[in-house]
Amino acid sequence: MSEPAVTHTGTEAQHSAGFPPFKTESFPSQIFWLVVTFVALFVILWRIAGPRIAGVIGARKGKIADDIAQAEKHKADAEAALAAYESALASARAKAHAEADANRKVLEAETEKAKAAADAEAHAAAAKADAEIAAKRAEAATHVTKAAQDAAAEIVNRLIGVTVPPEEAEAAVKAL
Amino acid sequence: MAMNPMEQFEVKPVIFHDPLFSIAGHPIYFTNQALFMIVAVTVATLFLTLTVSKNRLVPSRGQSMAELSYEFVASMINSTMGSDGLKFFPLIFTIFLFVLFNNFLGLIPWTFTATSQIAITFTLASFVIVTMVIVGFMKQGLGFFKLFVPSAPWYLLILLVPIEVISFLTRPVSLSVRLFANMLAGHTLLAVFASFVVLMIGAGGIMYGVALAPFALIVCIYALEMLVAALQAYVFAILTCIYLNEAIHHANH
Repeated sequence: MSEPAVTHTGTEAQHSAGFPPFKTESFPSQIFWLVVTFVALFVILWRIAGPRIAGVIGARKGKIADDIAQAEKHKADAEAALAAYESALASARAKAHAEADANRKVLEAETEKAKAAADAEAHAAAAKADAEIAAKRAEAATHVTKAAQDAAAEIVNRLIGVTVPPEEAEAAVKAL
Repeated sequence: MAMNPMEQFEVKPVIFHDPLFSIAGHPIYFTNQALFMIVAVTVATLFLTLTVSKNRLVPSRGQSMAELSYEFVASMINSTMGSDGLKFFPLIFTIFLFVLFNNFLGLIPWTFTATSQIAITFTLASFVIVTMVIVGFMKQGLGFFKLFVPSAPWYLLILLVPIEVISFLTRPVSLSVRLFANMLAGHTLLAVFASFVVLMIGAGGIMYGVALAPFALIVCIYALEMLVAALQAYVFAILTCIYLNEAIHHANH
């Protein structure tokens, strides 16, 4: 902005002569310093700042690309692990199913067998029991006959005082 | 107490009152303009070197600005000249930052705006055009003259070739005057309104309050000037890209 007015009052006449940018006497100094500063900036940007920024940007892009590649690798690994886990799970499940089926069949067969054996045993026991009942019944029947003979002989003895021989009693009971 | 809004554009010696030396009989002074061009270059250098650290994966604020300016210029070259224009990157980057930092530095009160001098902008523009011509002849040889010959029937060329030549010759003028006039006009306007504020406050009374109006205008114009400072640096750089593109690629109108 403008200089404080006091400093330029003395040189007012000199300054106000003409439009400042068109005063050619300042041109050599202007162009000289333009060349100096422009070349300095050019060399700095060309040799130092430019390559440095490019290096930083490149390094970051490389790092990001590396990280993405690594992340993708991790993702692929994780997916492979998941697939392996799932296939292992599926095969284990299939195996378990097969084993369970086999076990069930074995058990069913064993159950059948045991049931058949038990049935047979039960039948045998029933038959034996029937036979025993029949025998006991027959035996009881003989015992009843014998008791009747004894009773008949005893009754006769008491009534008439005659001792009946067992053969006679037997014949008499049988004749009834 | 007359205030001259043009006084701020006065190039005058500072620190040393005598010429440092002379080149071909022309005395070279260390001027206020030289001082602020050195400041601008120094600030630009510090901005682009100190902020940038390799060890930082996530850039700091300053570093992202430095990287942003770098990538901005790189993408500007890519979009106007293609990837083979990137060998001009240091040149375009320098032009852009030189104009940008001088424009912005000039917006700080009591500084000097180097780009408000036609000698500076015309030298820069001439340098761009001379570079373009040299690169054009190196790349295309005499084919560079096709720049002046658009594809049109021969009877139209009688008219078009002189127009193309004139438009080419006015390039350094338009390129330099655009920047010079923008900076000059903006700073003059600011100085004029600032002098209004000073005069009104000096008058006192009710004018004391009225002084707020030009002051508010200064604030608005200042914001606009910041836009202009960035925009003119961009325009200068992109026109340089477009001209250099004509030098390295065959012109196809």
